[in-house]
Amino acid sequence: MISFDKVTKRFGSNLALSEVSIDCEAGTVHAITGENGAGKSTLMNLLAGVFSADGGEIRLRGEPISPERPADARRLGISTIFQELTLLPNLTIAENLFLGREPLRLGMVDRASMRRQAGSMIARLGSSLDVDAYCGDLSVADQHLVEIARGVSVDADVFIFDEPTAALNAPEVEKLGELLAALRASGKLVFYVSHRLDEIFRFCDRVSILKDGKHVETRPTQALTRDELVSLMVGRVLSKFFPPRPARPDGAPVALSVSGMRVREDSPQVSFELRSGEIVGLAGLEGQGQRNIIRALSGLEPVVGGKVTKGSETGPMPLGPDVVATARAGVGFVPEDRKTEGLYLPLSIDENITLGMLRRLPIWQLVKRRRDVIEELMGRLNVRSAGARQAVGELSGGNQQKVMIGRWLASGIDVLLLEEPTRGVDVGAKAEIYGLLREFANAGGAVLTVSSELLELLGLCDRILVVRRNEIVAELDGARAAEEEVMRYALMGRAEAGVHANA
Amino acid sequence: MLDLARGSRRTGLSPIVLVLPVALFVLLYLSSGTFRSLENLANVNSQVAALMIASLGQGIVAISGGIDLSVGSVMSLTSAILVTADPAWGVPIALAMGAAVGLVNGFGVTLFKVHPLVMTLATMTFVQGVALLLHPVPGGEVPGYLRALAVSQVAGVPAAFFWCGAAILLAWHLLGRSRFGLRTYAVGANPVSAGRNGIAVTRLKVACFVLCSLSAVVAGIFLTARVGAGDATMGAPYSLDTVTAMALGGIQLAGGSGSVLGIVAGVLTLGLISNGMNLMGVSPFLRAAVTGALLLVAIGLQRREAIGA
Repeated sequence: MISFDKVTKRFGSNLALSEVSIDCEAGTVHAITGENGAGKSTLMNLLAGVFSADGGEIRLRGEPISPERPADARRLGISTIFQELTLLPNLTIAENLFLGREPLRLGMVDRASMRRQAGSMIARLGSSLDVDAYCGDLSVADQHLVEIARGVSVDADVFIFDEPTAALNAPEVEKLGELLAALRASGKLVFYVSHRLDEIFRFCDRVSILKDGKHVETRPTQALTRDELVSLMVGRVLSKFFPPRPARPDGAPVALSVSGMRVREDSPQVSFELRSGEIVGLAGLEGQGQRNIIRALSGLEPVVGGKVTKGSETGPMPLGPDVVATARAGVGFVPEDRKTEGLYLPLSIDENITLGMLRRLPIWQLVKRRRDVIEELMGRLNVRSAGARQAVGELSGGNQQKVMIGRWLASGIDVLLLEEPTRGVDVGAKAEIYGLLREFANAGGAVLTVSSELLELLGLCDRILVVRRNEIVAELDGARAAEEEVMRYALMGRAEAGVHANA
Repeated sequence: MLDLARGSRRTGLSPIVLVLPVALFVLLYLSSGTFRSLENLANVNSQVAALMIASLGQGIVAISGGIDLSVGSVMSLTSAILVTADPAWGVPIALAMGAAVGLVNGFGVTLFKVHPLVMTLATMTFVQGVALLLHPVPGGEVPGYLRALAVSQVAGVPAAFFWCGAAILLAWHLLGRSRFGLRTYAVGANPVSAGRNGIAVTRLKVACFVLCSLSAVVAGIFLTARVGAGDATMGAPYSLDTVTAMALGGIQLAGGSGSVLGIVAGVLTLGLISNGMNLMGVSPFLRAAVTGALLLVAIGLQRREAIGA
């Protein structure tokens, strides 16, 4: 039905997909899996018309296709249930389900038939949602359900489910399984993007594994065990550009202590300590709660219960859900999206750094640009620019990130929280950023980072905490941990991974 | 508990939006004998008609997530065209002009990604200039048939009533019942999601601006015909008055929410304030100050819950 033939896609200098060739047959549920950033979603987005391929060919029943927009893909008979929600909050469920293909009667939207059909579409998924409810009033899980109902109601031959179960509960996942079986029985091709092993084995006939944008294997799921599948997903080579890890003294003071914190009402408690001089990474598959933990610590997101305290010379001090107070206490936060949440793009490098240094001063303080400090810092950070007065928005991603980190270093913090420390950063600058972080830790600072690139965490961190479903399921020594071990905990959780480790 | 201020997710209607014009009406009805007279009520109706027609257009743009400041200038230029062009061609030329302004606004906002405020500020200034060039001094003769359409009465009901009624019905059909309306709400809430659902976002936004300019032309025709003379600045207050009516009607400029009922309520509130204070002999300057204060109170009481991004 669909063949990918040497499909290649780049984003800037980053090769997201490299000559991927997969053949997929009608009447099958075909899983696409791999680690974070392996290229699963990119491959599907090419088919869905979100991106266009840079090389190779996608064929539908032997005919080459190149959908430029989601609407093109839909016309070709390819329906996509996107991972992110595309429902309109101010439309009802029925209206959302039929948006773009509203039934008409006498030139007007035929609400009666729309509501009737919507009702049966929702019922098919085993739900009893009111089709007149506004989607903005629904829970996230219910919104996903509506999204799925819309996707499968399209008259298409190929269906793409991109991580559909991320927000669903067990009974809904069950219904989804029935739906997939029905689609298979009627001769459709279903792509199922997921890294949930149990669902891959339960729902899917075949599985294609991607790794670093390359196609590793496609096999019938029956011919695979869970262990084999995990082994196929991991096994990349660790690059050599990580700074050496110094031996950690045992009695280093606690820099940040988290006890009994919960990110959501129903999530398990999280407790850990961050000590001076160490770099700790939170690992896990995307959307498992690592991000919420670090955002909660930075004061950006509220937490449910628990206590966060920061160690200092004068004794522990409690931190609350308040970004300003947290920064004042000496905890810096580098967000994933530095362009909108971190830097002041139109301002120059020295202004950006100066803004960090002003942190503890009253607002009427005269702004002095400490040229000497800034020059020294820029030299240490190795920021490549046309000078300190250049606007930060004109710098490359790597240099922007260095300025972002530099701003915190200049402000004299002792705990640094980072999300995706090297996203959108080229390889050379990555090594420099790792060096900076290690230097900061060696000088007595403490670093906690979240990254979707497991290899980065393995290379950089002293300790790795594996997060799964908002819970820390394992604590591993960064120097000794293997990729496969981390993935096992991330994919299977504590109990099952433990069993396999003992076997 | 009924929350007086909470607006519905889609319509933006809250009790306060609807209660305000009714309360004003009752208040004026009880306190002023002049207000009660049929003559004055007809007067309110015709004062309000132009604002009503223009505001319905503004409302469509607002729901799609935009704003159109050129409404007033388009009304002014319409007035100038009607008294300078050949009587038979005045109306078609004005409509063509309106469509052109709408297209320029729409394409500027969509294809060239100019912020609607800046884009329509530019066309507002440009069109105002053209209107003054064309007809610098107020005056001139309005074609007789237009005059008749605007001021005559049918069975005692003033023509303005029918102009308003037709505009409200058309807007209600477009926004409430047509495919176009549903998609306008969708685009106003989130153009990216709407695009993923297969909606031609650019085309729809352009259509909204064209409809808005066309409604401004119709408002301009009515106003010119009622006054009986051309005036190249007669529309000037309407650019912002329509936006005030939006706000009083519970429509948030973020897009995705609003309703014809809300617009009607907003326009009536604004019209009753002016008329009432006029009757009480309040200075026009104080009237402006009171309108501003009322606007602040009204929107302050509404829950600020933006839908659009």
